[in-house]
Amino acid sequence: MADDRYLMGLFIEENGAVDAVGALGESSFRIEKVFSPVPSHRLADALKVKKSWVGLFTLFGGVFGFFAGFLLAIFTASRWDLIVSGKPVISLIPFLIVGFEFTILFAVFGNIIGFLFLTDLPRSDWRRHYDERLSGRYYGVLAACPAGREQELEALLERQGADVRRMDRDDPPERAAARPEQAHP
Amino acid sequence: MTEDHAIDRAGKSRGARTAVTVFLVLTAGGLAAFIAGVLGPHPERAWQAYLINFLLWTGLASGGVLFSAIMQATGARWSGRMAGIAEAFSAFFPVSFILFLILFLGQSYLFPWLHEDLHGKEAWLNVPFLFTRDAAALLVLYGVGFRYLYNSLQLRFGGASAGGRRFREGLQRRWAGRRIDEAAVRRRATFWGLLYCFCFVLVMSLIGYDLVMAADPHWISTLFGAYSFVKAIYLGLGGLIITASVLYLKNGPDSGLTKDHFHDVGKLFFAFCLVWGDFFYAQLVVIWYGNISEETAYVIERTMLAPWNRAAWAVLLICFVAPFLILINKKIKTVPPAMIVLCAVVVLGMYLEHMLLLAPAISRSPANIPIGILDLFVFLGFFGLMAASLMTFMTQFPEVARLRKREAN
Repeated sequence: MADDRYLMGLFIEENGAVDAVGALGESSFRIEKVFSPVPSHRLADALKVKKSWVGLFTLFGGVFGFFAGFLLAIFTASRWDLIVSGKPVISLIPFLIVGFEFTILFAVFGNIIGFLFLTDLPRSDWRRHYDERLSGRYYGVLAACPAGREQELEALLERQGADVRRMDRDDPPERAAARPEQAHP
Repeated sequence: MTEDHAIDRAGKSRGARTAVTVFLVLTAGGLAAFIAGVLGPHPERAWQAYLINFLLWTGLASGGVLFSAIMQATGARWSGRMAGIAEAFSAFFPVSFILFLILFLGQSYLFPWLHEDLHGKEAWLNVPFLFTRDAAALLVLYGVGFRYLYNSLQLRFGGASAGGRRFREGLQRRWAGRRIDEAAVRRRATFWGLLYCFCFVLVMSLIGYDLVMAADPHWISTLFGAYSFVKAIYLGLGGLIITASVLYLKNGPDSGLTKDHFHDVGKLFFAFCLVWGDFFYAQLVVIWYGNISEETAYVIERTMLAPWNRAAWAVLLICFVAPFLILINKKIKTVPPAMIVLCAVVVLGMYLEHMLLLAPAISRSPANIPIGILDLFVFLGFFGLMAASLMTFMTQFPEVARLRKREAN
């Protein structure tokens, strides 16, 4: 929302980030995004992340590829009509190899397309509400609150052991990047 | 022991006795049907059913024990109590060996090459040599299997009470008389487990070549041995999942099994569904490209000509396409009743697959697929033998089926 203020809680430990997600979930503040340097099942559980649909993209890619491979092999074979040792021009047994290869290829395509589509990538505004330290070892919890309640949100994040940074419009990413890395309290 | 416990235990042993009785009745029914078939107008049909069942259940038993040996050899812990359940299949080994020896009586029906000109293959394909080498190979496989089992059981139950079971008391006395160095026993179990894996590959390949591929002595596939032992692993995993699922449904959490165990072993079953399909296709595509008449005649008869073409499609659907599509789903692998149905269907599909490979050579040019009530009875007879063997093992080692009280707590 236009008048919302954004605060980032930065954590060295996974525990702190998980606790902050839990505390924010019980408050009236909104969690915008959570950053993790490594895949974290605990964070995913705390956020109650739903099962990804990427698998479905992969499956559809694979099924499409299977039939596409067969059709390509049938199409190319039928262009020449060469009969070799009495075997039919369109033979499904050898075309299975092409079908199999295309299954793998298009399943991978489906997987990548699904991943990009579902994560809304690529993004031009990725540096908005981002802290360079999140590319290192820090966990980050970005939370939003209505204007005037920033101190309340900051206090909540600090109680979980966060190093809190206000992600307001007057705090451009360049300035954040230039700031030296702070030791965790 | 409290009165309640005594009643509970008496009820369980009564239940076990009833189950063994049912299995033995099935076996007796199978035996009666087999004898009636042998004395009837088509003895080749009875011997064909016997051979198919021998191959099916022997593959299943040796493949089941292989799972435990692999877990031991690789130091895997994810399988938990599944490995202990897999060892129960070893109780079928002596039965399998006796069943193999009985095949000798049906040689004139089971080996169509006895009446053919073998063009120099007589040195390998003659009955005395075939039975000697196959019996020796099975003895080695089962001997190594029992040696592995001895060490594995010592690791699992070395310190437990025998509970008045005679065979187990003998083992416990033997173990008690020696100082048990756990690390040494573990090393021995790993060694014999690895040796079992090696023997399994060789012996299952040999049995595949001698009892299945040789039925058509002019057809050769170098991949057939590998195809045979991969099939035995696939069958073994199916049998293991069925047994574990039954124990889980009967004993619940007391079985020591969890959904994760079923998920993991289900993934392995899925993987071997793919490997079996791969080997099936790898043989087929090479023969298709080579297009040599000695090779293609075998495949054409079984996949393109009636009545076998229907069976070939059924095998492909039952043993590969259906399990592949169903097992893509994660949840189904964790539902024991569903897995019982799926694995049982795959085992039946493998029965049909053995029939597809053998029956065209044994039952020459039938109008329909030669399957009937006789085949059903013989199948149930072998099933009864396998189930009674498993029950016998679990009577001696009840911890395989149910956690001890101390473990459960």
